[in-house]
Amino acid sequence: MIEVHDLTIRYDDKAVFRAESALFEEGKISAVIGRNGSGKSTLLKALSGQKMYSGSVKIDGKECAELRPMERARKVAYLPQILKSANMDVRTLAEHGRYPYHGSFRRPTEEDRACVEKALMITGMKALEEKNLGQLSGGERQRAYLALVIAQNSSMILLDEPTSFLDHMYREDFFAILQELKKAGKGIVMVCHDLEQSFAYSDRIFLMEDGVLHSGMTAAGLSGEEDLLRRNFGVVLKPSEDSGSLYPFVMKR
Amino acid sequence: MKKDHKTKLLLSLILVGAVSWALFAGNGSISPGEILSALFGYGDRVKKVIVFQLRIPRVLAASAAGAALSVSGYLLQKDLDNTLASPGILGINNGAGLFVLLYAWFFPYRYGGKCIAAFLGALLVTAFLYLLTAWTGMSKSSVVLSGVAVSALCLSLVDVIISLKPETVADRVAFQIGGFASLNISSVYFAVPLIAAGLVFAVLTAPSLDLMLLGDEVASGLGLNVRRQRICHIVCAAMLSGAAVSMCGIVGFLGLIVPNVVRIFHHGKSRGGIVSCILLGAAFLLICDTLGRILVFPYELPCGLFLSMIGAPFLVWMLAVKKKRLGIR
Repeated sequence: MIEVHDLTIRYDDKAVFRAESALFEEGKISAVIGRNGSGKSTLLKALSGQKMYSGSVKIDGKECAELRPMERARKVAYLPQILKSANMDVRTLAEHGRYPYHGSFRRPTEEDRACVEKALMITGMKALEEKNLGQLSGGERQRAYLALVIAQNSSMILLDEPTSFLDHMYREDFFAILQELKKAGKGIVMVCHDLEQSFAYSDRIFLMEDGVLHSGMTAAGLSGEEDLLRRNFGVVLKPSEDSGSLYPFVMKR
Repeated sequence: MKKDHKTKLLLSLILVGAVSWALFAGNGSISPGEILSALFGYGDRVKKVIVFQLRIPRVLAASAAGAALSVSGYLLQKDLDNTLASPGILGINNGAGLFVLLYAWFFPYRYGGKCIAAFLGALLVTAFLYLLTAWTGMSKSSVVLSGVAVSALCLSLVDVIISLKPETVADRVAFQIGGFASLNISSVYFAVPLIAAGLVFAVLTAPSLDLMLLGDEVASGLGLNVRRQRICHIVCAAMLSGAAVSMCGIVGFLGLIVPNVVRIFHHGKSRGGIVSCILLGAAFLLICDTLGRILVFPYELPCGLFLSMIGAPFLVWMLAVKKKRLGIR
């Protein structure tokens, strides 16, 4: 669980991000939406301890900035938006997910191997485990990196625009995996640009507006905030009346 | 047996062969049988002196310097994410050489501090390039070009010192090209333990290099203190280069050739890559040194000469032909 209170992030003494309070829980998918440059990625970096902040970010009751990096990585996994195509195979990549548990000096245990195996199975990358990252398509590479964070076995997973480079099929596959992780009790916080998918798959939606985080709402609750949606996205989201519609909420002018 | 293990076994055999050749090849006045006898404590005193005070220190120095320069190049290439980075091209060896000469100028006949001076010189150049990259965010090619400029500056200062104080080096050619002709046994005693410590550190912390390949944000998300680890690796690379230069002078290209050859056959984790660099680098420099000793006997060619003859075409080959395969940008 991640609790945020009076969080402020500054660049050159100017506050670029503020959040009064927010709660990201385990067993739930939380989406962070907002316009480009509104501070969504900055929020995820602060939650994963990669950005200096004032205020409080508590991970399982402990202040994030006071946790040792390895301890923090055992509680929170973070996947940035841009993923490198490093010269290594999929299994090796997933094995790196166990680094917070054995570091540089200890050998991987049976538990480490089991976690890697499970991560490869959940993401469907078992068949491609010997493939080099450079040989994979964009969607496969995204799933390979997801295997890395699943192998990390942390209770919270932070994903920065995980589906932005994927086509529709891959996106649906990806969200299906996220649903599996949610069922397994993992808390997922993701920055997402696709409003319909965010509304369809998230339990809570946090809207970022000019560096200010609005408290989390359900999809139904946020769809009622028409002014807020129109101000930020120029559209509103209405419950779909068409039974053939892909998503429960659809965008309208 | 896995392919990776087979490769390491082959490299180990090549190193054993190179060590044996370096021990037994040379002046015809001492036969292989006499060398073996001397190794086991038999034979006359002169032969024992040749084996224990000339051949073995030289084999030790050449293999340690080869391993050190290769691993230094490997660490720099991974840390700077640039396959053209090497202690020779970035001017780290020349920086170490400059400080060795400055030390010899101010503290003549005191060999103990030579290694530390070389380390300081190497560290200064490396730190300068690292800070320049971090602050300006310059491209990979600009880092290499800056290194070439620093290298040229250090080399010209080396020339100035040698011209003003020729007594600072025993063999000017061997020092500037790189060779073991004027190897001092005291330097070996100081440099080899430093190199051993650097190699152990590099092998132990190799998994963090793999993490850094995934990008700083991913590595940091996995609990790695990226900045601290990068600085540790850069200090280690400087220490390895400095220790090697304090023994054999300014050897170029080895730190470029060996890591890139290893990249061709090794695609796994960095720990395996570092071990391959140690074995191949040690064997390669030993073979070059032994060739230099026996080819024009009773004269001697510096091993750096062979490395330049192989290294320069290798660099052109890397840039021109293997650009895509090796991922040079």
